Amino acid sequence: MENLVEAILVGLLISDMTVLASSRVAGCIRVTAMQGLLLGVLTLLLQAEAMSLRVVLMAGIGMLLKGGVFPYLLARAGKEAGVQREVEPFVGYIGSVLLAVAMLVVAVWLGTRLPLQVHAGQTLVVPAAFMTMFTGLFLIVARRKALTQVVGFLVFENGIYAFGVATVGEVPALVELGVLLDAFVAVFVMGIAIYHINREFDHIDTDQLSSLKG
Amino acid sequence: MKTETLLWVMLLIPIAASLACAALPRPRAVLGVLCAGVFTATATGAVVIHDVLGTGPVSSATGWLYVDALSAFNLAVMFLIFCLSSAYSWVYFGGPANDVPLTPRQARVFGGLWCGALAAMTLVLVSGNLGIMWVGIEATTLLTAFLICVQRSRAALEATWKYILICSVGVAFAFMGTLLAAASAHQLQLSSHDTLLWTVLRDNAAGLDPVLMKAAFIFLLVGYGTKAGLAPMHTWLPDAYSQAPSPVSALFSGFIVNTALYCIMRYLPITEAATGGTGWCLSLLRLFGLVSIVVGAAFIAFQHDLKRFLAYCSVEHLGIIALGLGLGGLGTFAALFHTLNHSLCKTLSFFAAGRLGQVFGTHDMDKMRGAYRVAPAWGTAVFASILALIGVAPFALFMSEFLIVKAALERGAIAALVIFLAGACVAFVGSLGHALPLAWGNPDGETVREPVRATFLEACLVFLPLATLLCLGLWLPAPLETILCEAADVINGAAAPTLAHFSAGVAP
Repeated sequence: MENLVEAILVGLLISDMTVLASSRVAGCIRVTAMQGLLLGVLTLLLQAEAMSLRVVLMAGIGMLLKGGVFPYLLARAGKEAGVQREVEPFVGYIGSVLLAVAMLVVAVWLGTRLPLQVHAGQTLVVPAAFMTMFTGLFLIVARRKALTQVVGFLVFENGIYAFGVATVGEVPALVELGVLLDAFVAVFVMGIAIYHINREFDHIDTDQLSSLKG
Repeated sequence: MKTETLLWVMLLIPIAASLACAALPRPRAVLGVLCAGVFTATATGAVVIHDVLGTGPVSSATGWLYVDALSAFNLAVMFLIFCLSSAYSWVYFGGPANDVPLTPRQARVFGGLWCGALAAMTLVLVSGNLGIMWVGIEATTLLTAFLICVQRSRAALEATWKYILICSVGVAFAFMGTLLAAASAHQLQLSSHDTLLWTVLRDNAAGLDPVLMKAAFIFLLVGYGTKAGLAPMHTWLPDAYSQAPSPVSALFSGFIVNTALYCIMRYLPITEAATGGTGWCLSLLRLFGLVSIVVGAAFIAFQHDLKRFLAYCSVEHLGIIALGLGLGGLGTFAALFHTLNHSLCKTLSFFAAGRLGQVFGTHDMDKMRGAYRVAPAWGTAVFASILALIGVAPFALFMSEFLIVKAALERGAIAALVIFLAGACVAFVGSLGHALPLAWGNPDGETVREPVRATFLEACLVFLPLATLLCLGLWLPAPLETILCEAADVINGAAAPTLAHFSAGVAP
């Protein structure tokens, strides 16, 4: 069991690195889909002792949304905007991966600093969650395309989700559903905004959205 | 009907109105249903608020819906602002002076999202579960995003994108904070149902893990602070305020930012008790407040766009509210009072900015000179509301700011007081420099404009907020004072002495 959890966490870290190192937007979207599926499995594994219909249902809905619906919506928005690659990001890919190593160090340090109540054998979940959050935030600030920023937002949310699964035993089902619904609407709204921006400007480079100042 | 049932009715009316608006064919009909929905919800809300003040906190659905004096006060401000703004949207979108009328599609989007936003904000204020409260805030962000670009333009889209991205990430931080708050309760062995209930956490605050609760509060302050427009997380705010249609700007400045601030208020007593009453979270709030005052005041002087100028005024005033909350005691009372005054005054000023913008065809203050002669009613409104905003004496904002000064003196927070007064002076001079030419200056260029007469509804929209601000500055009615005291007691927690004793000090 512990080995499985650790394998999933390693998978999560590798997906963080991949999303930082890849220039293809479609590839980044696929990585977030994989993260969503990994998180679903992680939820099931961490709550294996208290398995109930609720846990299975929540994990299932989470996997369906994060692994299927969100990537589909984003891929469609990307296709309509005609975006394939991130061109000239603010921080290059090699630089991003080097920074990722630094982020990992900070994540591990933070994970040991907070007096969280985590089951034995799951101590690595918190650093992995922090690492995923940092990755998401980094993508939002270091990439130009609006679509990649949404990918960053999703990765950030995945990190928070992983953190929640590990540290808060049971959140009421209604709250969890509300959170997932909000995430769904957020991706939906951002997709529509990208569609309109592309129609109005003929591009989705956010660094050129700079007419409002001061 | 029982109050518990009314809570549900109050939530369901805006949802029904929102669906109805989205289905109607004509813009006029949409605006009519919108106003009807908002006014019905307000009537229900008034009964709820009355009951809560009479009989104490009301809860329903095993504590998931919970209304006490603090939520009742915020509900009252919210309904007030919504009623005024809805009536104004009738004037703004339906008036004869409007050269770009709403298309039926835009009207449906506007009506649906407007009532939806009311539902989401009501959910934030009535929810007793901190998780659901977060869900409500995120829903507010998403529902209001497309209100900014109802009438699509490049600049409006840019503002919308910045708003969605910055606020979504900010609110995600707040979710992290909510999770940390839940995690800090691990020693209490709460059941899943009780995990995030505000009443449970407040009653057991001493048993929460202080380190985790501190971490949680930092995330919450940054997260909800982004939505509330506290500097340095305020960057979305001037763009969104200046590009949104004026009824929406009025709503944003009048209440959307207050909902986020309300969430921070909810966490204050819990964090304060969990960290042993050392005032740690209050000093953090004071810091953010002072930074906002300084940033807001510094940017006010350099603005050319009337709505951007008002937006930076908002940053400054939110800073003042945060400072008041951070001072505690009398400061909390003053901050809540200032919330009401600022919302009223800022709504009025955005009303005026919007109508004058329609008359002049621009929001550039250099081109809007002599507004008083061109549109007497709205010219008066913009001048008087700016005077009130900078704290000129008979208006209520002067009273609440004066109380904050008094609270700072009582607490001995001299450094904070000096920064606050310096910021207020800079804002005073900067704003007056804008307001005088705007109202009395010689019109720019050779075009001579015919004076625009205001309709009866418009005159009411100018007169009512101004009269209220004047009255509240001179005399604080007893029921309002009671609700403010009770709400302040909720924030200050059980440990703080009741505020009833200084009632003599409030009336001048």
